[in-house]
Amino acid sequence: MAEEFNTDSMLSMFLYESNQGLEKLEGIILEKQDADCFDDSDINEIFRIMHTIKGSSAVLMYENIKTASHKLEDVFYYLRESHPENVPHRELVEKVLAVSDFITGELEKIKAGSDPDGDEKELVADLEEFLGELKGEIKKQGIRLPKANKQEEPTQFYITPVAEEDSHFYRIVIHYKSDTQMSNIRAYSATYALKEVAEDLLYTPEDILSNEGSHDNILAEGFHMLLQTKASKEEVLELIDSSEAESIDFNEINSTEYGKALTEFGREAPPIVINLDEDKSAAKDDKQQAPIAPGDYVVKSKETGKGKTLAKNQAKQQAIISVNVEKMDALMDMIGELVIAEATVLQNPDLKVPGLDLTNFQKAAAQLAKNTTELQDVIMSMRMMPLTSVFQKMRRIVFDVSRKLGKDIEFEVIGENTEVDKNIIEHISDPLMHLVRNSVDHGIEDDPEVRMANGKSPKGKITLEAKNEGGKVYISVKDDGKGLNKEKLYNKAMENGLIGDKAMSEFTDKDIFKFITLPGFSTKEVVTEYSGRGVGMDVVVKNIQSIGGRLDIDSVEGQGSEMTLVIPLTLAIISGIVIQVGEAPFVIEMASIKEFISVGEDALIQEPGGEEYLVLRGDCFPFIRLGEKYDLPGAKSKLEDGIVAVVEHEGKQICILIDKILQEQEIVVKPIPSYVKKVKGLSGCTQLGDGSIALILDVGGLMIEEERR
Amino acid sequence: MADELKEELLEEDASKGKFMTFQTGREYFGISISYVSEIIQMQPITAIPEAEDYIKGLINLRGKIIPVIDVRVRFKMEPVEYTDRTCIIVIDVKSTVIGLIVEKIAEVDDILDEDVVPPPTLGGHKDNEKSKYVYGLARTGDTMKLLLDPEKLIKQEDLNILEEIQEEEQS
Repeated sequence: MAEEFNTDSMLSMFLYESNQGLEKLEGIILEKQDADCFDDSDINEIFRIMHTIKGSSAVLMYENIKTASHKLEDVFYYLRESHPENVPHRELVEKVLAVSDFITGELEKIKAGSDPDGDEKELVADLEEFLGELKGEIKKQGIRLPKANKQEEPTQFYITPVAEEDSHFYRIVIHYKSDTQMSNIRAYSATYALKEVAEDLLYTPEDILSNEGSHDNILAEGFHMLLQTKASKEEVLELIDSSEAESIDFNEINSTEYGKALTEFGREAPPIVINLDEDKSAAKDDKQQAPIAPGDYVVKSKETGKGKTLAKNQAKQQAIISVNVEKMDALMDMIGELVIAEATVLQNPDLKVPGLDLTNFQKAAAQLAKNTTELQDVIMSMRMMPLTSVFQKMRRIVFDVSRKLGKDIEFEVIGENTEVDKNIIEHISDPLMHLVRNSVDHGIEDDPEVRMANGKSPKGKITLEAKNEGGKVYISVKDDGKGLNKEKLYNKAMENGLIGDKAMSEFTDKDIFKFITLPGFSTKEVVTEYSGRGVGMDVVVKNIQSIGGRLDIDSVEGQGSEMTLVIPLTLAIISGIVIQVGEAPFVIEMASIKEFISVGEDALIQEPGGEEYLVLRGDCFPFIRLGEKYDLPGAKSKLEDGIVAVVEHEGKQICILIDKILQEQEIVVKPIPSYVKKVKGLSGCTQLGDGSIALILDVGGLMIEEERR
Repeated sequence: MADELKEELLEEDASKGKFMTFQTGREYFGISISYVSEIIQMQPITAIPEAEDYIKGLINLRGKIIPVIDVRVRFKMEPVEYTDRTCIIVIDVKSTVIGLIVEKIAEVDDILDEDVVPPPTLGGHKDNEKSKYVYGLARTGDTMKLLLDPEKLIKQEDLNILEEIQEEEQS
């Protein structure tokens, strides 16, 4: 079956498209979960997604996915056509999610290389029943039922020609857009769709499925079909998936011509050209029509002429392509080398020969420098992705878990557009899931009455927030639930022998909260499906630490807890200022710099112990001489000669004496090789434009150092 | 597949018994060539504050940032000025890439296993910095070569330090 032809590229395309579709679907569903019903555009969108999945899974012979998506499509088809009143919205939401979960599960199996063997029967029966209920309601109201969205077995593809008097004959040529992927599969879906109405169907190239090369052929020549059917032109056009088509040449011919065409498959007749349009409202009005394929269109032009030449209205190009991260890394390294090569050329000693006229060289060099800088910027920005998809997953989890536990929870998302390095996104999804689940399960009180008694709204609230601050990404999960009970935590930790026999007073609040991240710790007496087994928080912490981040826990008993993932700047691109101390370049994150200021020796206060403070505008700040601290040769020691950088971290400020400011630069943070012992106050290193290496100052670390003294 | 395997075997054969030798002070040292990934000229080095004295700093090896150590300082010998002949041998020891600053590259020598003798151990040698990293001596031509064990050269107490740091973080 499916193994008969090479399915690799088709498969990955199918997986990609289906996943995208499902993601979108979940987005719509969850957004509207608390609304009363879906509006028209949602219904259309869901219908479209299901239709696409149905079509492609049918091509790849995944029967269960096809059947399930087809059933859901039926439901939405019905919703779209009949606009039934009183749709049980919650139930519908659950049904859609059930189908989406089922398909996601099957897709995972396919991805893992095994066969999708999930049983869809129960799901389908469920949907059937649901649809029946809906229809039953409609019948009572006496509204005409739309024709069911019928579908026949797709496995056979031979259609017997039976010429009847009222048959129409069409010659159809579909021209796909030149960047269409796998046009042969699209062509196949078209024939597959037409089969529903066709009495006879011939197409060329014939080997669209077995021969991948036919793809190029179709792109170049167009996909030719001869169709005998009872359906009208409009109906036929409806059936053809025109979403990737550039134009469709459509000719009605008489039976004699048809007979001729059957033998000579290439004669030209003045075609009617239909240009595609993005306008979706047009098709919505055609209610009387049988199944509508995705990709609506309007007939734009009826002049005769070649379709290709008239197809001006190009649909939008695909906006996103997925690229292997390894390739991105390789590209990044290459650009790094390019920058070094550029520096070697532009600063070549050969150019320093006196008397050379370098005017033209300098011009060209400036252009080159500009281009490489831009190139660097682009590659860096390419690695960044918004957190949207991760946050959407969390929305789903809150929905599921709160439903199962019978808790009423409002979920707020802030800053989902915060951009994070792709590698980091992959690592935070699971830990974040744990935190969100915990908040729903442990955080929010089980009984709304308890909440009311404490003066809180009966509806629990969880806030998921992301922000980018000081080159670090903060992702916090905040609930307004019962908060953490310090005593309970302490006792539990004692019981489990995790902390020896230290008294409670020896620990700070934060220390006690940290207990929950110890392996084998759970205060939840009853283990639920979602949490309470005491594995989890320690895994969360481990995962976050593996990417160099940390977990901050804050809680007020009775008012709620806040868990904050602090993701470091590793991998992330930060904007920084390159400074120089002695001969060494350093980078300070732009976000932590308050100001640069030039002051005199009189602003300095020296404690008897040698500690120094700087007084700026009446305020007193700790003062660090970077050159002295790191023992850098050649560093300026007089305040008048250098510049003071005022930097801030978590609300505190310190002053650092540096020699001079070099430039502002976007930098990619690289870790200091682990071979070198960790230096306090340095968070990483980076490569500057000229290929040299600068160390990145960790303002937070410097402060801790300063406090310890 | 089979070809690749074969090539790999051949490569191993080719590098077997071959040693990159370099001179530091009056002594010659050798490193099995299988550890050596390349030799580069002296480069601008970014010093790391508070690091051990023999870690000279970081260099940029085509976009990759690697630490470099001064072999002389590592052996507790007097450091010397870097000259035109000073080179960096980039070695890859179990995925740790490190540059060794050496005074002068000598040559690539064939040293057979049977020519290698273990370093004589006398009581007093315990504290000798060099002997910690030398696993054998080999005579080729007129000179005696001290064969280095790169794994020990870059690890040993550094590993302890790493562990210490980890412990510190945990406590």
